[in-house]
Amino acid sequence: MPTTVAQSLVSGILVGALYGLAAVGLSLVFGVTKILNVAHGELLMLGGYASFWLFTLLGVDPFGGIPLSMFALVLIGLIMYQLFFSRLIKLPTEDKIRNSLLIGFGLGLILQNIALRLWTADNRGITTAYAGATFTVLGVRLPYVRVASLVIAFVFLLALQLFLRRTYIGKAIRATAQDWEAATLMGINVHGIYRLSFVLGAALAGAAGTLVAVGYSVEPVMGMHWTLKSLIVLVMGGIGSIAGTLVGGLILGVTESAAAIWISNYRHVIGLAIFILVLLIRPQGLFGAKEG
Amino acid sequence: MLELEGVYAGYKDLRVLWGISLRVGEGELVALVGPNGAGKTTTLRIISGLLKPTAGSVRFYGCSLDREPPHRIVEMGISQVPEGGRIFTGMSVEENLELGAFTARARREKEQRMKWVYQLFPRLEERKNQRAGTLSGGERQMLAIGRALMAQPRLLLLDEPSFGLAPILVEQMFEMIQEINQQDVAVLLVEQNVRAALELAQRAYVIENGRIVGEGSGDALLSFESVRSAYLG
Amino acid sequence: MTAKKGISLALLVAGVAALWLVPSMGVSDSLLNLLILMFIYTMLASSWNILGGYTGQVNLGHAAFFGLGTLVARILYTGGRPLFLALLAACVVPVAFSMLIGIPAFRLRLRGDYFTIGTLALSQILYITIGNVLPKITYLPIADIQNYQLGPRYHIILASALFTIGVAYALVKSRLGLGMVAVRENEDAAESLGINAFAHKLLALAVSAFLGGLTGGAYAYYQTSYYFNYTFSPPWSLEPVTMTFIGGVGTIHGPVIGAVFFVLLKEWLVMKVGEYHLIIFGVLFLLVVLFLPGGLVEAWERIRRVFTHRPAGKIVLSPSAEGSDLSGNSLASERKEVPMI
Repeated sequence: MPTTVAQSLVSGILVGALYGLAAVGLSLVFGVTKILNVAHGELLMLGGYASFWLFTLLGVDPFGGIPLSMFALVLIGLIMYQLFFSRLIKLPTEDKIRNSLLIGFGLGLILQNIALRLWTADNRGITTAYAGATFTVLGVRLPYVRVASLVIAFVFLLALQLFLRRTYIGKAIRATAQDWEAATLMGINVHGIYRLSFVLGAALAGAAGTLVAVGYSVEPVMGMHWTLKSLIVLVMGGIGSIAGTLVGGLILGVTESAAAIWISNYRHVIGLAIFILVLLIRPQGLFGAKEG
Repeated sequence: MLELEGVYAGYKDLRVLWGISLRVGEGELVALVGPNGAGKTTTLRIISGLLKPTAGSVRFYGCSLDREPPHRIVEMGISQVPEGGRIFTGMSVEENLELGAFTARARREKEQRMKWVYQLFPRLEERKNQRAGTLSGGERQMLAIGRALMAQPRLLLLDEPSFGLAPILVEQMFEMIQEINQQDVAVLLVEQNVRAALELAQRAYVIENGRIVGEGSGDALLSFESVRSAYLG
Repeated sequence: MTAKKGISLALLVAGVAALWLVPSMGVSDSLLNLLILMFIYTMLASSWNILGGYTGQVNLGHAAFFGLGTLVARILYTGGRPLFLALLAACVVPVAFSMLIGIPAFRLRLRGDYFTIGTLALSQILYITIGNVLPKITYLPIADIQNYQLGPRYHIILASALFTIGVAYALVKSRLGLGMVAVRENEDAAESLGINAFAHKLLALAVSAFLGGLTGGAYAYYQTSYYFNYTFSPPWSLEPVTMTFIGGVGTIHGPVIGAVFFVLLKEWLVMKVGEYHLIIFGVLFLLVVLFLPGGLVEAWERIRRVFTHRPAGKIVLSPSAEGSDLSGNSLASERKEVPMI
């Protein structure tokens, strides 16, 4: 029994890190541009399929191919932003959020159907030579692939943190998130910062999608699922706090896994229920939290 | 160096400026005074490019600013300290100053510039690693001005720098503005505190209902009857 | 003016009468099915529009109301209860459910976007839960299937659709409807005029859930077989939003036009391009949201204006942020902008 508990705790942490990585892109984009992109999960899906194609068609190792799938998502993100979201950028905040929800909803539908045409409705995984390999610590089985994904997720979050804290551009991004008008008066091209943030969010979704494809599997309808996971983590962790996002992701992963011991069919309902509760108990949301 | 000619502007169907013309010379300290809602802040927003005129022109050293985005205008040498300072409260004092020197031109001389700002405002140096959100009202205003100076402006636009400050700090603030002006930085000052502004300024404009209704040296306007009765009581 | 009104009323009555008589004209079943789909989608869009269009609370989980309607109606009807009772329950249960989320959300003045993603989450919870509890296909009673007649179903669904449009019309033209629009345009200003925003939003939600549930009931009575959780799936949330926007959000005829357009275009596209129709429809939706926020209704008004050279009737929705300001953000604090919805 204790081993079962430890096992599900560990698998909760492993998937939780991916929730964190998935959410951090959404959080960055929302925090800076006030665009709530509900097609974020679809970007993640495209990242997964990008690495699936790279692996099956060109034989590129999924981990080694992460920069490539991120690059693919940079291009897709750029197109998406230029064609659609950039047109909302001048709206007052509330209208911007509302309209971005509609645009994202529509884009999600389009991308999901494009994926259905390109890759069929089947579940796809990336079966590398080392895919099934595991090692055991204190009776808990750990798949190499998922542990590597956890480490990579941590590295990405840390790198993002350093980028935002230490570099000039990173500081400009934070400044724009806090007060875009004051940032403009510093000589910062805020429209450039918006575009950069959106593209960065897409690239992070690409990386997360690859890790999901290699550790779990991808399918065209996964987008909504991952968007919701990201939103849940966002509400729990707060905007603009990368550490908070990571902790939120881990909490969600562990809670789901714990719930799955007793009510396995409802693991995804648990997170959604927590989400609605947080929304109702903290209506001002952790969304409104200032960056720390 | 700065010339506004017949500028009309507004928000949606609400027109705020009705043909404003004004001018700031090299190294001058000019005040813009008038009642609430007369269009003072809107005038500054026009100069900074945050709002574009519907008619008329804005020129800086002879170059038209009409098509320049605001961040380019900063690069050209105009910095604005917006009302209330609008410092980045979630970042440290030093990070705020660094952001002030964001433009390529200013970034090259960031270090010397920061030393100068710390000389002007020693309080900021003492608190450079503190979060800007923890500063007092006076310190915030200093930081906002220091941050604008980091961009190496030729023209500094100040929107109500004395607003909300204790009387003793207001006096210090005006001394500081004079000191900055003596470093060959032209200043366009928007103020509610009309007497202090007119005493400080070499020239001043009076704005009412979006129109310039008076212009002259600060002293002349101080003795101007309608200004006296309207603002000085 | 009154003569013109009289003519439109006569046309309307004639149109409805014609629709009513269609089954007795010996037309093909496929035409009847097409019309029934139009009625159902009209109901779906109109019911969404009351909350999303008129009151400005975007609901991305309308499938929850529709799905609950199908579920309740189906269980009662296949359990041998009379159709009327099944349909009534299909309306009432979603209302009760909507209050569970609506009362706390609106009482706490939950920001609009929280409400929106909250509805998205809620419909997913139901979708997953129903899929777990009832993971099977539901069939109409054998007697119904053996003796399946389209005619009576056509009439009941047409009546439901007329009822839906009638309720929407009556509500919108009443003082309550005016209050709902005021809440959408500017909640604070509405409250300062003595309009109870909470009550108006809750009423709009209740009516939207009631009619959404009725739509579900009609669907459950019409469709011979489907998976229990199918009617809770995301497309049922997406489609009312897209149809309403394409037709004209915040108008009575917009959702009707949107639904008819949707069904026809879908038929045509399925023939021409097969499964790609959803992609094309998604693109169309995006274009409308971005460039024609008033939908086909606004497009028609614009065309009419060009030909008649006279100012058209007031369009409730106008695209915002056309000012010369760099961004509306700073303006929003000074003056409330006209929102896009």
